[in-house]
Amino acid sequence: MAPTKKGEAARETKRKRGSVNSQKPEPAVKEVKPVEKEVKSLKEEDLLLDSGTDSDYDGDSLSGSLNSDDFDSDIFDSEDDGSQRDTEDGERESLGDKDHGHEGSVGNDDNGDESEQVDSEDGMEDGSDEGSEQGEVAEESDSSEDEVAPRNTVGNVPLKWYENEKHIGYDINGMKITKKELRDKLDSFLASMDDKKNWRQILDEYNDEEVEVTKEEQMLIRRLLKGEAPHADFDPYPTYVDWFKWDDAIHPLSSAPEPKRRFLPSKWEAKIVLKYVRAIRKGLIKFDKPEEEPKVYDLWGDSTSDQKNKHLTYIPPPKLKMPGHEESYNPSLEYIPTEEEKASYELMYEEDRPKFIPKRFTSLRSIPAYGNALNELFDRCLDLYLCPRVRKKRINIDPESLKPKLPSRKDLRPYPNSCYLEYKGHTGKVTTISTECSGQWIASGSTDGSVRIWEVETGRCVKTWQFDEAVKRVAWNPHSDFSILAVAMGRDLVILNTELGTDEQQENIKELLQLGNVPEPKASVAAIASWLPDEKNGGIIIRHFKNISSIDWHRKGDYLSTVMASGETRGVVIHQISKKLTQKPFKIRGLPVTALFHPSRSYFFIATRKNVRVYNLLKVEEPVKKLETGMREISSMAIHPGGDNLIVGSKEGKMCWFDMDLSSKPYKTLKNHPKDITNVAYHRSYPLFASSSEDSTAYVFHGKVYNDLNENPLIVPLEILRGHSTSSNGGGVLDCKFHPRQPWLFTAGADSIIKLYCH
Amino acid sequence: MPKHYRPAGKKKEGNAARYMTRSQALKHLQVNLNLFRRLCIVKGIFPREPKKKVKGNHHTYYHVKDIAFLQHEPLLEKFREIRTYQKKVIKAKAKKNEELARILLTRQPTYKLDRLIRERYPTFIDALRDLDDCLTMVHLFAVLPASDREKLEVKRVHNCRKLSHEWQAYISRNHALRKVFVSVKGIYYQAELEGQKITWLTPHAIQQVFTNDVDFGVMLTFLEFYETLLAFINFKLYHSMNVKYPPILDSRLEALAADLYALSRYIDASSRGMSVEPKVDASSSSQSNGREESELRLAQLQHQLPSSEPGALMHLVADKEVEEDEDTKMCKSLFKDLKFFLSREVPRESLLFVIPAFGGMVSWEGEGAPFKEDDESITHHIIDKPNSGHMYLSREYVQPQWIYDCVNALIILPTEKYLVGRELPPHLSPFVDNEAEGYVPDYAETIKRLQAAARNDVLPLPGVGKDDLEDPQNLLYAGVMSRAEEAEAARTRKKMEELEKQYHEELKMELTGSAGEESESEDDEAKTQIPEESEAGAAVSQIAEDVAAMPRLLMSRKARGLYDAMKMGDERKNETVERLERRRRILKNAQ
Repeated sequence: MAPTKKGEAARETKRKRGSVNSQKPEPAVKEVKPVEKEVKSLKEEDLLLDSGTDSDYDGDSLSGSLNSDDFDSDIFDSEDDGSQRDTEDGERESLGDKDHGHEGSVGNDDNGDESEQVDSEDGMEDGSDEGSEQGEVAEESDSSEDEVAPRNTVGNVPLKWYENEKHIGYDINGMKITKKELRDKLDSFLASMDDKKNWRQILDEYNDEEVEVTKEEQMLIRRLLKGEAPHADFDPYPTYVDWFKWDDAIHPLSSAPEPKRRFLPSKWEAKIVLKYVRAIRKGLIKFDKPEEEPKVYDLWGDSTSDQKNKHLTYIPPPKLKMPGHEESYNPSLEYIPTEEEKASYELMYEEDRPKFIPKRFTSLRSIPAYGNALNELFDRCLDLYLCPRVRKKRINIDPESLKPKLPSRKDLRPYPNSCYLEYKGHTGKVTTISTECSGQWIASGSTDGSVRIWEVETGRCVKTWQFDEAVKRVAWNPHSDFSILAVAMGRDLVILNTELGTDEQQENIKELLQLGNVPEPKASVAAIASWLPDEKNGGIIIRHFKNISSIDWHRKGDYLSTVMASGETRGVVIHQISKKLTQKPFKIRGLPVTALFHPSRSYFFIATRKNVRVYNLLKVEEPVKKLETGMREISSMAIHPGGDNLIVGSKEGKMCWFDMDLSSKPYKTLKNHPKDITNVAYHRSYPLFASSSEDSTAYVFHGKVYNDLNENPLIVPLEILRGHSTSSNGGGVLDCKFHPRQPWLFTAGADSIIKLYCH
Repeated sequence: MPKHYRPAGKKKEGNAARYMTRSQALKHLQVNLNLFRRLCIVKGIFPREPKKKVKGNHHTYYHVKDIAFLQHEPLLEKFREIRTYQKKVIKAKAKKNEELARILLTRQPTYKLDRLIRERYPTFIDALRDLDDCLTMVHLFAVLPASDREKLEVKRVHNCRKLSHEWQAYISRNHALRKVFVSVKGIYYQAELEGQKITWLTPHAIQQVFTNDVDFGVMLTFLEFYETLLAFINFKLYHSMNVKYPPILDSRLEALAADLYALSRYIDASSRGMSVEPKVDASSSSQSNGREESELRLAQLQHQLPSSEPGALMHLVADKEVEEDEDTKMCKSLFKDLKFFLSREVPRESLLFVIPAFGGMVSWEGEGAPFKEDDESITHHIIDKPNSGHMYLSREYVQPQWIYDCVNALIILPTEKYLVGRELPPHLSPFVDNEAEGYVPDYAETIKRLQAAARNDVLPLPGVGKDDLEDPQNLLYAGVMSRAEEAEAARTRKKMEELEKQYHEELKMELTGSAGEESESEDDEAKTQIPEESEAGAAVSQIAEDVAAMPRLLMSRKARGLYDAMKMGDERKNETVERLERRRRILKNAQ
């Protein structure tokens, strides 16, 4: 309210002054100025001053002009600003101004030069004075700049033409206008800091001078920026003054009669109105604004109505990893990688490179912005809506607790654990060993073609046979009265008389090995095996049609099975030594690898490459049972003396324990060897079993079988027996056998040594 | 015939029936990919991992129920409505019917997300649990520059700023802040609300830059949801304090970018007003006019209060609060009776948040500050730059890291190391469990010792016996029971390890002994087998290794895999610890 009132007051004073034709504007200025200090009031002040000086001029030069003229000049004449500013600046200026005002007509032509060079504002003012003296002509234009000739007369040419000159152009008389000395930046900055009005100064490059924007001009600019009329007191919407004098008009402008439509309500309008009415009735147009609901409210206020989630379980997103010490802005020095480490990061693949390299900043203010912030957040967003979420249980346990608790090895003694004896004599790999049932002798066969018999306790080689072929298998007859040895090499199976034992026994053996009355075999059998006398060693040679891969004696020592890598019925044959008879009772699927007699009952086990089949010897047409090992290639097999458990070794280093009462699947599979298992063996009386492998180790296990059917066999690994040389060219342990009575283990190595491990 | 032929009339079963790929889902819902993404983001639906991927490994699978859940979402219909409406506007514009377009634009259909929030977070605690991402995002967007290209409006940036300040004001006021960590990425804060640990990251107060390889559409959709969520959470929190939300702030302080201070004053004023109100009967007419009016008036009154006594206001409310847990009490009294003054160059927003959260009083250089620099009662002057004009003798000039370290250690650390101009001790992460990591930085040890000393002085706990107190190992954990338990567990573990080691030693001894005995008892042949001393050592170690490997044979394949993985993890951890220790040794030698 106050400003408008003030404005009115100012206008009042203006009018008064106009009417009085005031004599002394200066004192009035002085009166008002010190009192009013605020900007808003200053505006009015300026107006007041404006009008004051203006009216002064009018009084001087154009006393006879119209009222409206006064009004107009007030609005459009910007030259007044100059005068106003002058009055503000000081008395001297205003005096000068006054001089101009008085001497306008005289001094304009004469000393125009000088004054213009000194102060352009003055020049402008001169021009304006001129204009006002010339009358209404000048009023047509809005800007006084157009009328005032610029100091520089070079015209509209690029200023850079004068860049290297000392002058910026020419004045109206053709004299060079020299450039002002350029102040250096620091000075100008200091000056600007000192002078509070400095921000109002603008460098006019064209005329090379500083122009100060007056308050009035500021207001003008401000208004222009707002899109208003440049002058405050310009009324864009004046009340219309009808200058036409209607009283004198006798005749109407048109003599046409008034049309009918002027009196009838419009159809179209009615239609539109109807449309609106309908819209309102329908509720399409609403007059009262809809009530704004509060944007936020207590969303979880009614916690009681906890409806059950009908959809799938919500898996909350995993929280981000917490930052560690290394992410600190000032980490401990040991977290910062050395230069070499940083260089090594460069050599890494991009995926392996650490995502974050710790860095140290000495103070908080030196931390730069983190460039990856948006990217990381974006990645997180992607994870949130694109990654499948799965609930995973995190196991926070000691890894050692995963290991099964094993009984102490001390309690499971005795078992073979250290090498006690070595049997040296073979020159090739020892491929096979066999223990005599009394435990006094062992026989061994080697690739050098020799078969040797050793005394167990002393390690003395008792007997040696030399053959032409590499020995594949040797087997003692389990019957204690017949100390004969079956030796398989190539296609031949040689029954040897070891000549150990009493004379009476020798008699029996010799009788047994007589090939006198060989019955005529069937044609099909004859194609597989033929019985020949062995003149050289006094035994029997049974020649097969194919290389023998494995042999096994029946527990009573009369029957002997041989296995050849052949399918159908020819793979496994059973020889009866007493009757010199050969049978081929089994029809086998696949190639047999090894075969075993059951230790107590009339069953027979045949292992093909992947499975083990159990046959009843009394009824051999179909296997009684098929054991699925799940291994790729079976290499060996051994049966527990109890007869219900079987271990199978494979070429992939795995060993299966079958509990035949339990299932046809392995009870336990042990992956103990990195290389092929060559043989597996049970101890006859102790709860021990062993495996030997091409990796030059043999494992000894405790394998206890309980009489109680509900209790599973207990398997405990006991010892890893090393000792055979681990040479790269086909080293390894090729065979292992337990001593029949003692907990001792014999191993046959590819390094041509047989070792005895004792407890 | 296709690979998985299904006879006609037989329905799909199993995974094929339960999961569908994304493109199937799009077809099913009849939406485009953008809309589908938005729906998934606001509904919180994520792909699932079927046991058997029927369509192949390179597809994303959604559960059929999830898609059905989307299909019944009213928002889907709303989005379609908006789309058709926008078509109308486009049509009007194309026909040069600007007036119609303008009118249409004023009445655009809008949608709300409040129902979705309730649906996704049935209880308040559920919402708090998932708040980490929300806070991090809102705090980052609060400092981003508005950008036309990325369609990030100034309004939203301001809203983010406002929300983050409101959240901080609440946390600070209720002393719920627990840990602060200044990292290179920004400042991590951890607060504890209703038993939920909420961690968020605020970027450093430096101009952030846009990157091109980020899809802002997705980010803004997330932000939209998070803004709504945080607003509701703030409402709930303020409501629980009996403070009106949204707060009305002192425009003068807001203009000075001291929003946090303004907020804290607002909260103080409002809660005080609430507490006073019931006592005063009818003395003031303004209160009878209605709650809102009185609120407003209080807020206005608050603005006219002299700005030098925020502490007095704080005490007024602080007295009446009763139920607080142990942590909050400790946090609240950490900076009690300390007065801080922030210099110009320190991170003001962060410190204005942290210091009051731990019970301190703080002021800063600039207008609108509660007290001036020349206040005699200031105890600490936080300053980052070494040179300063006038140094007051009555206060200590420390670097800002001191505050953060004190907060994390929950004791007042000695200031010598943090004095202005000194090289700072390392700033350690409070989120790391040093014992679990296996590597304890030197300074962590120092802090532990200081903590123990402080505890010993101040509060000998009732539960801990005297012997335990004397044990320095135990003292470290005296304050926090869980910590103590942890230590106990660690010690038993250590003991077990020692026992085990001892057992192994014995075993070795035994083995060598038995070998020796045997060799002595055997004759000449055996003598060749007597291993030499060095060989014996190797053999013994081999045997020990074998013994350790034995039980591994009997593990199932699954357990063995797990065991191996765990061992590998342990190895990796040990590797980093070793690397750190090596570096530390080198550094020590260099000194």
